[in-house]
Amino acid sequence: MSALRLNKNLLKRCKKFKCFSTAVLQEDEYTATPQYPPILDMSPEKVRERRKEEEYEGIKAVKTVEEKQIKLNMPKYYGFKSYMLYEDYIPYNSLPLIQHVTRTHLIKNENLPNFYNDLDVTSALNDVKSDIEEAILIELARHRQTLDLQGDKVEADNRLGFALSKQINRIITTRMSRHLPHLKGAQVDLNSRIKSFWLAGGMSPPENIKRYRRGCSWQKDKENEPTNRVMNYIGSANVSLRTDLPLKHIISSSDAESPDLSVPFFEFDPRTVGTVANQHRHIANVPGFWPGDSREFGFLSYHKRGHLISRHYGDANELKEAVDRQGILASFGWLNAQANFQGFTTFNDVTYPFVTQTVVTNGQVWSFYVYQLNTIVNHSKFFTENAKRNVCWGTPEVKLFEGVENDKLVGFNDEVLKMLLKFYANVPEVKLGVNLKPFLGKEEKFIADYEDGDKREWLEREYKFLVSNRPRAKLEYEIYAWEKIYKIDHQTRFMDQKKRPFEFKIKPSNRRLDERLPRYIPRALRPELPRHKGRYAKEYFP
Amino acid sequence: MSTRWYPIYQRGGPQLRVFLPNFWLKLVRPTHEQPPNIVQFSCSMQMTKYDIRNYLEKIYNIKVVDVRTRIALGPTRRVPAKGYVVKDEDIKYAYVTLPKDEKFVFPDLFPVDNKAKEEEEATIKQSKEGFKQFLEKNKERPNMPGWFSI
Repeated sequence: MSALRLNKNLLKRCKKFKCFSTAVLQEDEYTATPQYPPILDMSPEKVRERRKEEEYEGIKAVKTVEEKQIKLNMPKYYGFKSYMLYEDYIPYNSLPLIQHVTRTHLIKNENLPNFYNDLDVTSALNDVKSDIEEAILIELARHRQTLDLQGDKVEADNRLGFALSKQINRIITTRMSRHLPHLKGAQVDLNSRIKSFWLAGGMSPPENIKRYRRGCSWQKDKENEPTNRVMNYIGSANVSLRTDLPLKHIISSSDAESPDLSVPFFEFDPRTVGTVANQHRHIANVPGFWPGDSREFGFLSYHKRGHLISRHYGDANELKEAVDRQGILASFGWLNAQANFQGFTTFNDVTYPFVTQTVVTNGQVWSFYVYQLNTIVNHSKFFTENAKRNVCWGTPEVKLFEGVENDKLVGFNDEVLKMLLKFYANVPEVKLGVNLKPFLGKEEKFIADYEDGDKREWLEREYKFLVSNRPRAKLEYEIYAWEKIYKIDHQTRFMDQKKRPFEFKIKPSNRRLDERLPRYIPRALRPELPRHKGRYAKEYFP
Repeated sequence: MSTRWYPIYQRGGPQLRVFLPNFWLKLVRPTHEQPPNIVQFSCSMQMTKYDIRNYLEKIYNIKVVDVRTRIALGPTRRVPAKGYVVKDEDIKYAYVTLPKDEKFVFPDLFPVDNKAKEEEEATIKQSKEGFKQFLEKNKERPNMPGWFSI
């Protein structure tokens, strides 16, 4: 085996030798004014910060949405250790944590923001009311017939919520689209899959990192410095509507930096309040559609609330907070994924606000939320430096109707229906003078825009594999218990041959995404090339 | 589950007996920083989440919102002079969530008494200052014994 194959650094070292160098043929070495390189702070923190900036710029420079998502995944072959946030599992008292990680200021009010007061929906109300009442009665009757017997209350509530939100949405869109053309063009998704990823900072480090820092002489004084955490949201909307134009912002970007928008500070590890970090996952941002869809801005989404029945903490006030938590997380998760499809990432902040409207309902009990996403960068130094806050306006739970008596709805609340109709009457607008996709290429914004078919196919396969988050076929690396006891904690087997990664100080978890063999091309399919060439397919990692 | 069982009722047997399961809970200082409404206990291995909740609610009348448990692996160590590895018992920890407006501060059980130490330091300081004064007084008179003075 040649020395070069054994040690790849040899070639780099050879370049230092004089005998390998050539004379520089540069005549205009001198300039009229002296040119100096910029003076850089060479302290380790600043060097690391510059390296990070460079990485962020690298991600920003990638042209297409899918390639950006692959680029985010590049550091980890086995995925990132993620703190899992589920829509339908809400641990006790997790609202402060969620507000902290999403940087959200919550405004809880009886009414929606002032902007909605100007929308007049009385004629629309008269138009749809009787139809909606009838639809509710029919669905409730069917519900009683089919689901009451099964006993699973959560499932029953979810099904009723799904059926009712589907029907109510259908009635409103068909009736109102006569006057509001944006509803005609809106895309309606049922049970859309929503996944969102972002980094959150500001929380104190876990014990293992503290122990590591205590052990390093140069990190001892930074023992309690906050660390970033990978947050992963998984949810699903019963019904979601999206349009080709974004909704109007409710507060201006300068108002979003106001210090009055307070956000609770959660200093502890999320695991202390029941948010687990038990999975390694690839970064996946899925807003319920694939990149390149023309209706790429969220308009309205309906969410289930059956899971609230299974909470057994016996604290009525906390239950209200749990709904707020769901509203905030559903809105932020969806908007963050949409922002990723516009070319923004958790490292490159949004340049204009995103707005969505969220409803949490089972058909009878309704909570309304309006969410304005002003920033998605909330980690490292940005946690303290970034002045922007996201804002969520929420209403308390209200009942659309009290119940059913003699096949008629009792106590139908027009105000609740009005609030919902106002959401539909909020017309999306063209954002004048705003480049919606500033960090994407001019010609190529999605991989579908590439001319090269092979490249398109390769990127598509890679992207879909990553967002599917399917486990790898090979078993994950693990240090067995006997190895931990007899090889790491107590060196009782020092005569054994060293074979395992931890004996060579190699961390398989640090394997990069591209550290693997490309796809093998069988000899019969290869072009006429020498035997040792063209064995592996070309790869297009960004 | 307790390893002691409530005796099965036989006809004529006494009713409403006091039954003591062999359970114990020990309040411990939290390993990881916790929010103020979460308390860490180490408990007997047989206890389930329901047992822990009942123990606190029925005996101490504490309102418990949620209980999470984990089993921590006992540490391994080598026996001195023998060389073989032994493992200590595993420990079950319970994280008990109280209502969110409640606050628990781990008590300072053994406050350090600094009084004696402070007194000692004060005496040393005093004698040091006395010696300094003595040197200051005698700096004009080198090699003169200390007792030779007015």
